[in-house]
Amino acid sequence: MTQLDAWLDALFAATTLDESTIVFLKGTALAQWVVSTPWVWPTAEALHFLGLALLVGVIGLLDVRLLGFMKSVPVAALKALVPWAVAGFVINLVTGMLFFTAAPDQYMHNLSWWFKVLFLAIAGVNMLLFETTQRSRMRAMQPGDDTPPAFKVIGGVSLVSWLMVVYWGRMLPFLGDAF
Amino acid sequence: MMELLAALEVSAFATWVREASTIWAYPTILTLHTVGLGVLVGANAAFDLRVLGFGRQIPLAPIEWLFPAMWVGFWLNAITGAMLFSADPIEKGTTALFMVKLSIVMVGVVLIPLLRRAVYSRRCAALAVTPLAKTFAAVSLVVWVAATVTGRWMAYW
Repeated sequence: MTQLDAWLDALFAATTLDESTIVFLKGTALAQWVVSTPWVWPTAEALHFLGLALLVGVIGLLDVRLLGFMKSVPVAALKALVPWAVAGFVINLVTGMLFFTAAPDQYMHNLSWWFKVLFLAIAGVNMLLFETTQRSRMRAMQPGDDTPPAFKVIGGVSLVSWLMVVYWGRMLPFLGDAF
Repeated sequence: MMELLAALEVSAFATWVREASTIWAYPTILTLHTVGLGVLVGANAAFDLRVLGFGRQIPLAPIEWLFPAMWVGFWLNAITGAMLFSADPIEKGTTALFMVKLSIVMVGVVLIPLLRRAVYSRRCAALAVTPLAKTFAAVSLVVWVAATVTGRWMAYW
């Protein structure tokens, strides 16, 4: 066994829920309600796709600016729309946790879901890096200024990781045979 | 009409979309349909929110490219949508929910150029948001939400 395999096994063991936790989640009143009420899952799916559009639309526009397009639009002005993207994210976090609680094994044992979580983490760390290390540069920018290379990297990483989140999420039922 | 749908259903292409045991058939077409939704509804929502008064500091002229972006999303979904339809035409072609979704999408598509014209074809130099533009933006937002919900529900009802 190579070192990489050992690390992956350790990571998987540390992050995978054991059977008793899966049984516990499926036995909760919430999971029972989701499984036994026919409209809940489809309605949560519809909300999950609306959250997707809101998040991708607003963050995508901001990313395009970070990449250096729309130079006459102040980055700070675009950030005024970000609460809408956060709203989309919260909708998807809540509905996503609903799916997970109702069918934890279907996600836990699917590699696509882990890729989705990985790209969510990348998108999150990327955003935190922007907020913590680029704040003063963002404030100092004048309309018409090109964006510094760090902004372009962060914008590109954001755009690609959200696309990957959508990709692995939508491919989840087809890859890994979980459903 | 039913004969046409039946012929489509057994065509080689429809059979490939429906039955090919490769992720490049149905799964990838469906995923592209979701990406198109993100581009069309996402770009539309961002523009609608701006017109409705959120992010007022965003100048209007440099975000007109969101309209071509909406058309890219629309055509991607028209094409992938037709492919998905071909895989199950008798069922989808006779489902009320699908007809409702198509009608909603048609209203949304008509609103795209109307909204663009309302915001950008003003004679005066400075672009400003008119009550008509706000109306188009609000209706557009509601329409694409409805299109997304009815589209997603086609998997269940």
